[in-house]
Amino acid sequence: MQASVVTEAVRAKPARRLHGWWMPIAFLLPSLVSFALFKYYPLFKLFYMSFFAYQVASPPGDFVGFHNYAEFLGTDSFMLALRNTFVFALLFLAMTFWVPIVQALLLGEIGRGNSTFRFLYQIPSIVPYVVTVLIWKWMYNPDFGLLNYYLGKLGLGPYLWLNNIHMTKFAIVLPSLVATQGISILLYYSAIRGIPQDMLEAAKVDGAGPWKRITALLVPNMRFIIFIQFVGFMTGALLIFDPIYVMTQGGPAESTTTVSLHIYNTAFYQYRFGVSAAISVVMFAITGLITYAQLRLSKSADG
Amino acid sequence: MNNKGVMKTAAATLAVAMLLASTACGGEKNDTASSPDASPSGSAAQSTQSGSPSASEAPVEIVVWDYPTDGSAIEVEIPFFERKWKEFESKYPNIKVKHEQIAAGGKDREQYLTAMAGGNGPDAYPANPFPDMEKYIANGFNADLTERWNQYADKDQYSDAVMAAAAKDGKIYGVPHDIYIMAMTYNKKLFKDAGLDPASPPKTWDEFVAAAQKLTNPAKGTYGFNILGMDWADWHFEYWVWAAGGDLTQKNPDGTATLTFTSDAAVKALQLYKDLKWKYKVVQKNVVQSYDENDKDFQTGHAGMIIGSPDGAIKNGVDINDLGVMTLPAGPSGKAYHQTGGAYWSINAHSSPEKQDAAWKYIMFMTSKSYYDDELAFIKESGAFPPLVNPRKDVDPSTVFENIPADMVAAYKQASENLHLEYFLKARLSKYVVTAIQSVLLDEKADPLTELQKQQDLAQKEVIDPYNAEVKK
Repeated sequence: MQASVVTEAVRAKPARRLHGWWMPIAFLLPSLVSFALFKYYPLFKLFYMSFFAYQVASPPGDFVGFHNYAEFLGTDSFMLALRNTFVFALLFLAMTFWVPIVQALLLGEIGRGNSTFRFLYQIPSIVPYVVTVLIWKWMYNPDFGLLNYYLGKLGLGPYLWLNNIHMTKFAIVLPSLVATQGISILLYYSAIRGIPQDMLEAAKVDGAGPWKRITALLVPNMRFIIFIQFVGFMTGALLIFDPIYVMTQGGPAESTTTVSLHIYNTAFYQYRFGVSAAISVVMFAITGLITYAQLRLSKSADG
Repeated sequence: MNNKGVMKTAAATLAVAMLLASTACGGEKNDTASSPDASPSGSAAQSTQSGSPSASEAPVEIVVWDYPTDGSAIEVEIPFFERKWKEFESKYPNIKVKHEQIAAGGKDREQYLTAMAGGNGPDAYPANPFPDMEKYIANGFNADLTERWNQYADKDQYSDAVMAAAAKDGKIYGVPHDIYIMAMTYNKKLFKDAGLDPASPPKTWDEFVAAAQKLTNPAKGTYGFNILGMDWADWHFEYWVWAAGGDLTQKNPDGTATLTFTSDAAVKALQLYKDLKWKYKVVQKNVVQSYDENDKDFQTGHAGMIIGSPDGAIKNGVDINDLGVMTLPAGPSGKAYHQTGGAYWSINAHSSPEKQDAAWKYIMFMTSKSYYDDELAFIKESGAFPPLVNPRKDVDPSTVFENIPADMVAAYKQASENLHLEYFLKARLSKYVVTAIQSVLLDEKADPLTELQKQQDLAQKEVIDPYNAEVKK
């Protein structure tokens, strides 16, 4: 019986091999091509552009070597943009990173209606982020916005939100608190579900309270997912552009100008494309370094 | 086994080769900007010609971005434009003109830059603003029109002042499309309600502040003066600096620039802005709201005075008799200056010679005296608010003034006696001035001189030093 199965398998193999080896390549090719076209080609073009006084209508213009880099690296505008970027990254971290983790942990405790809640958590992230940002922009209007209206009924405000130099960063981060991380919740939740139930039961029997269970059992087992999310999160936070561009375009008084906005303004308002490319390259290097540091830390933590 | 290895390498090489080929194709498209010349559009033009084109002229298609933007004040002229475009077609049957819209909402500059960078720019573009011309010329967007201009019969109808922003190093890069004079528009009904005489608007800064205070009524939701605080803030702010007797920059005889952000005049003007917001409290709460929202505030009767022309309000149904135009209030210098600006036609430097010729013919047609005279006649009939100044000396818009209240006409005539071009290098220095303005308007503790000094130092290092070095080369 077994022998015939083996011979069948041996006979079947050559037929598969004939159209086997190039199938993976065929499936990978579209994504490779689009990666190359939309990620790598622009990246190499960027390096190229940063060494020229780039003329956008008659490229590439005069070769200037590292002059573009020298031009912006010491400037206060860039330093301010860098400072704003890190403040934004910290704000995003403090206000939005832990939310899906907590939501997933709470989800894990819910038995009935679990799938309903999971569904409800997804809905805000179906809406394109830009639409959410636009709606919040209108809600922030100091004269007619919904927020000041309802806060006024409670006796608070009126607040200036995006008009207030000190409040505006916080106002830009706020929509992300409630609106965007449906997929993250699912990822964390699946990590929690991956933890064997009998371990949790044993812990309960041993008398571990919910807080002890979370810190000693659940979170350590989610470490890998949290780390992966964190790397992607930091990269996204350092490169933040969409909400700021839609809400304040870098104002007021440059209090929300991040490096990505600075790059945009340098290119599209000042027409200094070479300098803009140079700033992009430097930002690429900074983000790459931070990501690398995170990977190294995680490797050493794993032993 | 060997076969498999060789095949795998061959497949990998093929994949890489495909990648390189596709990227190479992408690169080429970007560099040959005049590729729209390719035959598909030419043959399309041929097939749509009803009669045969004149034997000597080959058919040519040009793209012009002059179809009125949705919601703009010149939408009322669409029937007129269509009539004129048909006239042009019958005059030059071999030239087919494709009219496209410029983006609304202040996005026109971005749209133009993106198109030019991608090699898809229009062959003729009518909206090169005066202050942006030097940026466009420096980047090689505009074709050199000097030779054509010197042979142009009507070139003396344009004064040196009107052509100043289109000229660089003795060469001409644009043909004036429109010019405007900035004044202030006020709501006569609100004036009457506040106990002010609508026939005698404020003439000095002190009178202006007093009027604004009278017009501000939180109970009714009205305020005295709508201030421009969004990222075009410097556009209106410069007028107050001029009224205070100075300017934001100075063009030196050798072509270099000197910053005067911290001059007495600029500090006085910014102090006025600060007082209007924090001391007298006569401006809107949301000082950085969009340009459209500012217009809406005025057109819905919430703001008493706004810098700008009444044509938008009239187009949106406000009764012209409820509006007034006043010259800007005179400042510490004793005078007020009125900004003149406008836009130029330009021809795309990267278009083929045939398209450039066709574009020139089109521009000449659209800037001829007969064109403007016909346009004024149409506007008079339609009852819209006319452009009260024209770049040509031989076109006199006063022929349409019968519809317009005499006091408005008088105000513009008075404004035209003290004209002023925008401050030198405005397009490059805008963000620094705007940052200083916004700091003062949004933070009660900000000090005008400190903010202006901070921005001047930044602008000096980041813009002026490299610019002056370029000029001296």
